[in-house]
Amino acid sequence: MELKQVYEMMQGDYDSVMGRLMTQERVVKYLNMFVKNNMLELITNALDEKDYEVAFREAHNLKGVCANLNMDKLGHSAGELTESLRHGEPTIDITPLLEEVREDYQLTVDAISLIEQ
Amino acid sequence: MGENAILIVDDVDINREILKEIFEEQFSILEAEDGEKAIRMIQDHLDNLALVLLDLQMPKVNGLEVLKFMNEIHVVDKIPVIMITGESTVSSDVKAYELGAADIIYKPFAQPVVIRRAINIMELFEHRNEIEQELRKRTKQLRESQAKLEKNNEFLINALSSVVEFRSLESGEHIQRVKYFTGLLLKYLMQFYPEYHLTIEQCKMISDAAALHDLGKIAIPDSILLKPARLTEEEFEIMKTHSVLGCELLENFRQEDNEFYQYCYDICRYHHEKYDGNGYPDHLVGEQIPIWAQVVSIVDVFDALVSKRVYKTPYAVEEAEAMILNGECGKFSDKIIDCFEMAKAELFAATEEGFSFIESEQEL
Repeated sequence: MELKQVYEMMQGDYDSVMGRLMTQERVVKYLNMFVKNNMLELITNALDEKDYEVAFREAHNLKGVCANLNMDKLGHSAGELTESLRHGEPTIDITPLLEEVREDYQLTVDAISLIEQ
Repeated sequence: MGENAILIVDDVDINREILKEIFEEQFSILEAEDGEKAIRMIQDHLDNLALVLLDLQMPKVNGLEVLKFMNEIHVVDKIPVIMITGESTVSSDVKAYELGAADIIYKPFAQPVVIRRAINIMELFEHRNEIEQELRKRTKQLRESQAKLEKNNEFLINALSSVVEFRSLESGEHIQRVKYFTGLLLKYLMQFYPEYHLTIEQCKMISDAAALHDLGKIAIPDSILLKPARLTEEEFEIMKTHSVLGCELLENFRQEDNEFYQYCYDICRYHHEKYDGNGYPDHLVGEQIPIWAQVVSIVDVFDALVSKRVYKTPYAVEEAEAMILNGECGKFSDKIIDCFEMAKAELFAATEEGFSFIESEQEL
């Protein structure tokens, strides 16, 4: 699948990422790194251990990477999760937020897997 | 130029990789995944770091703490830091700028913009560092030429005062001693009597001027100046004119608004005035006598007492002190007496040990 279509599938912004990072080759390289990093696992592990400081930082990192790679849909849900964790232990039930991140994450990873390497 | 490394600090490898690819063609890239490692690398690469790209949120030691560290070791002015942050909150931005961050770039960033801003900032810092270096160099040169001038000045003053010594066949060291003792007394005067508002520079000038206190003796006839016995009253009256004669000499080279000239003039003219008005030539009373002339006056008296003259043997230092304190040598102000007492140990030591030390650096 072409990179442009991959971005359509994950609901990202292809034109923006190309405008900023300049070459497809680079973008693909970063996307592959992203898959390997498994940032979602880092967040869920921290939440399992109730380490909200780490959970916040990892959610924040996911949001930042999404911004850098214009993976907008995932970036949006990661951003909401980040906010809920900003002040330590969340006062609301974050299960739906986490679920949304999980779904968007899967969608994004699935899309990336369709890139012709 | 030795500064060609860029340190990229971010706990997410993708972010580091994106930045790395921007710069790796032109710079050697160092990477740190947390603040602790960043601090180590900054210490190890102080001399070749051209830029630090610093993430704010990091485990262990965060970006602001890295900046704080750079402040503590005073490199935040030398190595530019660009904060790379995922979010803009006014408070963290302000904090970063307060701690010396050169710029803040928000994610997501466009590669060409990052390159341009980074290069601008590196050029700015390089330029600033060069200017500072140039300024340091110039300041050093200026200080050197000033020191040279001062040395020349001192040489001329010494030459001039040695003419007086030579002419009067007096002990060759009297003038150097007066100069040195004046410096000693001034040290205490400056410290304990701030009402005279004397600065170190002024004290240095006054000590130099003290060397010329007897300048007018050049104009005293040999028959009196060199008389190997006590002077008659009439001869003494002529001798006394040396204070005014010195000023007449100086007036030939009068310099308006020149502090040093003023000290020379006052010291020549008033170094035989007494606090109660019984001195000469103008019978000034109390603080009418410039403080620098008061200092040279007591020093001159002390040195005359402890020196050998054709018509007298030298007094012991304690004897000389007693004569000054009991007013035998004329009245001095309480403040001047106080300074004399404080400087006593040093005066005595210098008097008894001989004066070869005078060649060495003075304290003022």
